[in-house]
Order: sequence, then structure tokens, then C-alpha cells
Amino acid sequence: MLSRVADSLYWMSRYLERAEHTARLLAVKLEAMVEQSKEDAETSWLRVVTALSAEKFAGDVADPFDVTHALALDRFNRSSLVNSLRFARDNARQVREQLSTEVWEHLNRLYLRLQTVSIDGIRVHQPARFFRDVLEDLYTLGGVTYTTLRHGEGWRFLELGRFIERAQLVSRLLDIYFGVTVAGSVQPPPPKYSDWLELLKFCTAFEPYCKEHTAVIRPERIAEFLLFDAEFPHSVRFAVDRVGETLSHVAPGAPPARRAPCERLAGKLKAAVDFGQIDDLAGASIDRFLADISQQCEQIHDAVYAAYIVYDAEAVL
Amino acid sequence: MQHGALERDEIGAGASYASYRLGAAYDEMFAKPGEVRAPYAALAARLAVLPQDELRRRQQACEQSFLQQGITFTVYSDAQATERIIPTDLLPRIVTAAEWARIEAGLKQRIAALNLFLADIYTDGRVLKDRIVPRRMIYGSKHYRREMRGLPVPHGAYVNICGTDLVRREDGAFVVLEDNLRVPSGVSYMLANRDVVRRAFPGIFRAARVKPIEHYPQELLATLKSLAPFQEDVSIAVLTPGVFNSAYFEHAFLARQMGVELVEGRDLLVNDNVVYTRTTSGLKRIDVLYRRVDDDFIDPLIFRSDSALGVPGIFNAYRAGNVVIANALGTGVADDKAVYAYVPRLIRYYLSEEPILDNVETFLCREPASLSHVLANLDKLVVKAVGESGGYGMLVGPHASKAEREVFAGKLKSDPDNYIAQPTIQLSTAPTFVDGEVEPRHVDLRPFILHGEETRIVPGGLTRVALKKGSLVVNSSQGGGSKDTWVLSE
Repeated sequence: MLSRVADSLYWMSRYLERAEHTARLLAVKLEAMVEQSKEDAETSWLRVVTALSAEKFAGDVADPFDVTHALALDRFNRSSLVNSLRFARDNARQVREQLSTEVWEHLNRLYLRLQTVSIDGIRVHQPARFFRDVLEDLYTLGGVTYTTLRHGEGWRFLELGRFIERAQLVSRLLDIYFGVTVAGSVQPPPPKYSDWLELLKFCTAFEPYCKEHTAVIRPERIAEFLLFDAEFPHSVRFAVDRVGETLSHVAPGAPPARRAPCERLAGKLKAAVDFGQIDDLAGASIDRFLADISQQCEQIHDAVYAAYIVYDAEAVL
Repeated sequence: MQHGALERDEIGAGASYASYRLGAAYDEMFAKPGEVRAPYAALAARLAVLPQDELRRRQQACEQSFLQQGITFTVYSDAQATERIIPTDLLPRIVTAAEWARIEAGLKQRIAALNLFLADIYTDGRVLKDRIVPRRMIYGSKHYRREMRGLPVPHGAYVNICGTDLVRREDGAFVVLEDNLRVPSGVSYMLANRDVVRRAFPGIFRAARVKPIEHYPQELLATLKSLAPFQEDVSIAVLTPGVFNSAYFEHAFLARQMGVELVEGRDLLVNDNVVYTRTTSGLKRIDVLYRRVDDDFIDPLIFRSDSALGVPGIFNAYRAGNVVIANALGTGVADDKAVYAYVPRLIRYYLSEEPILDNVETFLCREPASLSHVLANLDKLVVKAVGESGGYGMLVGPHASKAEREVFAGKLKSDPDNYIAQPTIQLSTAPTFVDGEVEPRHVDLRPFILHGEETRIVPGGLTRVALKKGSLVVNSSQGGGSKDTWVLSE
């Protein structure tokens, strides 16, 4: 597979994961808002803003529609939902011939639909409904991709992008609830019961968590579930596991020496989440653990690029 | 008096020919007011009963489908680049089997002569020594590539993919308006139009026994493969300037349909005069490159050094015979509008045959007698800059203002070599669905000729249509649309 194609598929998928995450956070937040006091709502909007790396909009949290506009529709916010979708679609367009017609048209339709949406339109209709619809479209796209694309190397790069992005997004979210990094000058109050529910829903984890631990909401069980559950698709461990699995399938013709750095890094990260346990992460050490995961994801990204995407011709001749 | 072509349905359904006014041009559908030509009878009957809203609905569905498929081109003349669809008109343009037979024979003859001409001017230059074509016109052309001199090309085929623009004169004969020998585009629209129009009129499509065109990608692949020095495991790729090129959709489409890699300049590298693509598993050799990048941009070491689209060193790999580039470099010299005027003479010179397809009468402004004729008749002529394409740099005399004509007269006097003039040809008109009415609009026809070891032409082509009333300019960049072209089996 062309290195440039692998690059585009990888980023297409990362942006789609980011778009899905953004849409889900907004849907959940807008649904939860109706039951929250103004103060509680603002605190939790701050968490959302931080989770989406949009701290510069922390000042907008007083008006839920201002902040929704910034996170979803603002063309000047590089990480807004519409921009994530635009970047995903731009990448897809560059590898149009590698995608199935179904995948491309589904994504293109979603992109075109969002071009005409305004915040007033969202405000008038049920706001959460809008993001639920986008989310559903993105889930469908995932299914369409799974079922119409050959599970060859291109598909592996889609998987790689999706799960590296997911591991980082979930780590960042956990960091906000268990660590110390939240936007704004004043330290927010510690999360309440409703905030923990929100965290689970941000990760589509509420029902799976309840099946595992019943509806008893305990922060350390939530952390454990979202970090270490082997079978839940939005846990860090699950994502890391998929990254490692995927890396053993990409670039089938590359010699072992070139594959080694990627596989070593992926194996190291996998060991950390396979054998880590929540009791070891008491106090501040969870901060470091989460930062480590994020950093190792970046190292894997760099190693993949060095080995397969941007290598020098001299290195392989 | 021009309407009443068909009995209107009593409930008021059916297409209205109220504004179908026949002009001086040959009309594809009506021989005279009220008299439908035989090949169009079935279409006319269908239109007569098809409710107008239904036609409109199908037209909208077709546009929606193009947008969703991303069959768009990018317009850069606006302040920002915008993606637009090329409007497809649902009413097919019909060519009879006999007309097609003549077109096909004429195009094969023409491409044979043009390839012999290219081989000649890049080797002995016999045609120049014999004073058939002025030496200055060739050696002075900015599209003549000295780097190509003496370089053999497979099967002597310089032009492997050609799009020749035909128009129908007032007398009904097809004549050649221009040859596109560099990187002609539009073939993906030919195929996409067939797709939507066949769905819009399945009944009459089947009944009309339209010749198929879907095999174009396979034919293209076979042509490219025939250019390789060996036939086992030929590695072929389509070279695109990238996603910002207005024809990007087509490049991706052709690569996908042929099942070959779509590459950009940055994917390729040359080592030891061999061209490779950078893949995740390592470097992979490329044997044949169907390039959709202009000569100027293909190798910054040889041509434009500021090109970021090309591949440094690819020309040397080409010289060394390690890669085939299709079309060959330097073919642009032969589709120059001045050389065009000589093509009938070239056909006689190389093939000792009379041209099957005529040229449009052409005045070369480089010849003093022609220049004064052109200047005296600017209001009747179309003047074109020799090296331009896409409808740019031209003056349509009868439609231009006096001031515009005076500006052009100045240009002609100061740089006569750069211009040719032709009588305004009334391109034929074909029924076109415009604002709820069926109206005549001017059309041309661009068939695509493939030429490798043998010459192949799929029966059909891209019919371009000038959607603006009375306009003779069919280019998509100037508000043109396109139609499906039906070549009938009998």
C-alpha cells in the first residue's frame, strides 16, 4: 500500500473518532444539562471543553449554545465537529479509490448535510437529538466500513488511527476526572454522582459498567473499568490491544528490523495496561500513568511514521 | 409556429416545446418544425407523456447523486475554490450507427497521421524538409520538447489517449474542431452520465439498442499494458497532480476502475533511473505511468524547476527505457491550433489518403493575406489563441462588443503568429431540459481514442452542451454541461 494512502486512511479514521467523541460528549452534555443547576452545568461544560482540547472557549460556558456552537460548528476552531468531519472527508477524498463507494458516499453525505446546519437550527429542534443523529450516522459509517471494505492493509490503518485516537481521548477524559487538569483559573469542585454518570455516558459505558458492577457508582471502579476492562471497546486497554494487534498486520512486506520499533513500543504499552491494576494508582500516580499512556501513543505514532510512511529511500534500497 | 411538434397530452403532461425555436444550426432532434428525426422518435414519444414534474424530479435526483458521489470539479476563478457538479442534462444525444462508423474511421485515420507526424518531427523532420509544415511553427512552439528528439516510444505511439472535439455543421456533417493530445479529460463524465441516464430512461434505452461503453477502463488498461516492454506483472499507475486538480475525481475514478494505484509526484522517487513508489512495505517499481500532469510539471530537473507535482529524475528514467509515460512528452506540439490547420495535409502526406473527417475552415493569422481577411471580418469569425485551451483567450466575433473586437484586433496585429480564426460554426443543437422546458442548446462531441499496439475507440464520447441560451461555448469552466451520448447499434 502506498505510504501516502496509509497516511490518509490513518488520519481519516483519527478525525472520525474525534468527531464521534465530540458528538457524543455534546449529546450527553445537552441531555444532562436539563437536570443540572447553572453552577453544576458550567463546571461540567468546563470539563467537556477541556476534554476536547478547546480550552480557549472556556469563557463561553455560561451559555450552552455559545459553547455548543464553538465545539460543533465553529469553522475557526480546528477541533470542532464540522472541522473534524471536514478533515476526515478531505483525507477520504484523497484516497477515494481505496474506499468502497458505500463508505465514501456515507461520509460525503454526512459532510454535506452538516454544511447547512446553524446553531439556531439546532436550538430550535431538540439540540441533543441533533448530535444523537450525527452519532448514529458515524456508528453506521463504522459498520459500513467494517462490512464493505476488504480487511486488508488499508482497513488496518483505519483501525490503527481509530484506536490510537481513542486511547488518547479516553485517557484525557479520565485525567480530567481523576487528575488535575481542568480549564479555568478556579479549581472546580470534585465530581458529584451526576458527573460520574456523565463520564460513563461520555464513553458509552453506562450500561456495560452496570452489567459488570451493578448501578453502584464508585469512582475507582469507573477508573478501573475505563482503563483496564479487556472487553469493553471504549476502554484504554481494549484500544491498546487493538493497536498492537493491528501493527502486526500492517506492511506485510517490511523486514523484521523495520517492524521492530513499532512492535516493541506497542508491546510495552500493552504490558502496562494488561498488568496494571487500579490499586497501584492511588493518589497522584494515576496522573502520571495516564500521561504515560498518552505519551506512548505518540511514540507509537512516530515509530509507525518513521518505519512505514516517511522513511528515506536510502534506508530501504 | 415552431412548436406543436407533438400532440400535447390532454391532462397537460409532457414536455413543452413552446420555446423550441430552430435556428440556423442543424438540430439533432428536429429536421424541421414538427418533424422529429427517426432516431429521436422514441425519445420524443416518451417525453410527450412523461409529466414535466417527473422529468424535473429525475433531473434533481441526478444532480443530488453526482454531489453525493463527489463527481465534482473545482472552480478556482472565484475568490475561493468551490466544488461544483458539471450539470448533466438527462436527454441523451443520439448518434446513428452509420454516423458513428464514419466518425470512428475518421478518428482512427487522424490519430494514425498525428502519431506519424510526432514521430517524424522528433526524428528526421521529413515533413519540415519537404516544406509541408513551416519549420518555425514546430521548432518555435513552446510545446516542442527538444529532450524528446530521437527517443523511441513503444509502437511509435506518442499519443495513447486522445480526446478529439467534433462538431456538427449546418449541413449535418461531423467535422473536427480540435484534437486534445496532452491530458484530455472528461471520460469519467461519459461513464457517469451513462449511469444516470440509463436509470432515467430504462425503457427507451433498452429499445434503442445503445452500444455499451462501460468497458472503457478495461480498454484503457489494455492500451497502457501494451506499452510495457514485457507483458507479465506490469506495474501500472495513474499519476495525478493531486486532490486540488479540477479533474481529480476522474483520476481517482480511472485508477479505481482499472484496479491500479493512483499516485502523486510525492509518492514516486527515482533511483538508478528506475521509478518507484513509496509503499508501507518498501519501494515498488512502476513500469507504466498514465500521467495526468502536464509536460511542464513532470520533472523539475528537466522542465519547470518550481514544480512540486513532478518527480525529479523521471525523465532520465524514461530516456533509459525503464518507465513508459503515457501520453509521451511533447505531444502538445501537435494539438496546437496552428498545427491543427495542417492536419488534412498531414493525412495526405503520411497516409496518402483523403481525410474522412473535415477540419473547420481555419485562417492562420501568421499568413498576411489571412490576417487582413480576419481583421476585415472580425465580426463574423471566432479568433483563438494558438496555445490556449478551455475556452480561454478567445473572441467570438458575432457575440462580442465593438470595443472587445478592437482590443482583439490590436492583439492580432502585434502577435499574429499566436492566433488563428475560424468562421463561427453554428454547432448543432440538441433538446435540453432547461427551467421546465425542452429547448435547443448547442452541443459538441468528444470521443476518446486509445492508441497503443492497436487503436480502440469506445462507441460514444462526452457530449458537452452550452447551457446558456444561444451560447456556443461548451467548456465546463464556462458554464457548460454534458449529456449522455447514445451510439445506436443499427
